[in-house]
Amino acid sequence: MTDKRPDNDDHARARQMLALGDTGQLSAADQTWLERHLGACEGCRAFAQDATDMVRALRSIPVAADRSLVAATQMRVRQRARELRQREERMWLVAVSCVAVTLTAVVTNLACWRGFGWLVERTHVSGAAWPLAFVGIFIVPALATSVLLLAKGTHLADHSR
Amino acid sequence: MVDERTEIARGLRRRDPDLLDRLIEQYQHRLLRYLLSLTRNRATAEDLFQETWIRVLERGHQYDGKHEFSTWLFSVSRHLVIDFFRRKQPASLDALLDDEDKPMAPPASEEPSAFDRVAHRELSERVATGLDHVPYEYREALVLRFQEGMSLDEIAVVTGAPLGTVKSRVYRGLSALEPWMKGIQA
Repeated sequence: MTDKRPDNDDHARARQMLALGDTGQLSAADQTWLERHLGACEGCRAFAQDATDMVRALRSIPVAADRSLVAATQMRVRQRARELRQREERMWLVAVSCVAVTLTAVVTNLACWRGFGWLVERTHVSGAAWPLAFVGIFIVPALATSVLLLAKGTHLADHSR
Repeated sequence: MVDERTEIARGLRRRDPDLLDRLIEQYQHRLLRYLLSLTRNRATAEDLFQETWIRVLERGHQYDGKHEFSTWLFSVSRHLVIDFFRRKQPASLDALLDDEDKPMAPPASEEPSAFDRVAHRELSERVATGLDHVPYEYREALVLRFQEGMSLDEIAVVTGAPLGTVKSRVYRGLSALEPWMKGIQA
């Protein structure tokens, strides 16, 4: 006789098959093995019954959302959707403004460059000097503004006076 | 089914408020039940319920329609729950995330006589009580598997855990509930 008594691994294997609730998806060999094991093991049979009861009980636990919760959530979601839409519209405006500023800057620069060229021709300034003057005129206001802002809001400002 | 998912994905990209209203109605009970299973607190679950839908609105473009919408929805809410516990109770978060390999605590005998208390109640109420004592990871797996009817693969997506781990959690979760059943039946 080589009749093998179920060991702990067999019980664990059987219980895992039962717990996963997919016994219908087991291979024919596994299904046969499980049925044979359940036929011989009272503990696993009890577990199978418990598992069935537990699953049924889990499915029937009543949990319901209140109508007020659903309504409040829908209202919040709509409100947030409005905010997001407004933000997107503002961002779109900012993007359009950026494009407009860039285009205007390009056109203005071109016009100024040509204007400088015309002035150079009229005043006979040296060829190397006028591009520097052009850059200076464009950069100096920005530099001056930066220094002023820096001095007003940083350690450059002497607040003790 | 795929058409429905595509439709939802398209609507979420547009932030269609009517679609969101419909989804909130459709998934209200399932989502709340899932959140309750994770938080074990109705007020917290309701707060997170609202936060979840706000997040769905804001991140709707991330839903690609490859999985069920519910899978993505539960995944979003799960992240919010983890964030919530991380903000509120760092120590508890560790307990939530790391308790998988710890031995399962049997029902405490000095608890206000759970067996007596629930002896005459319906089975679902008994199991609900038992669920409160099941470690977080197992509880979540049980709820997703048996209450939400998700496949093991879907649970793996929601929880970000490997399939083998999900199987183990379901099995161990039921095993953790078993003492409650036996105690009650004894």
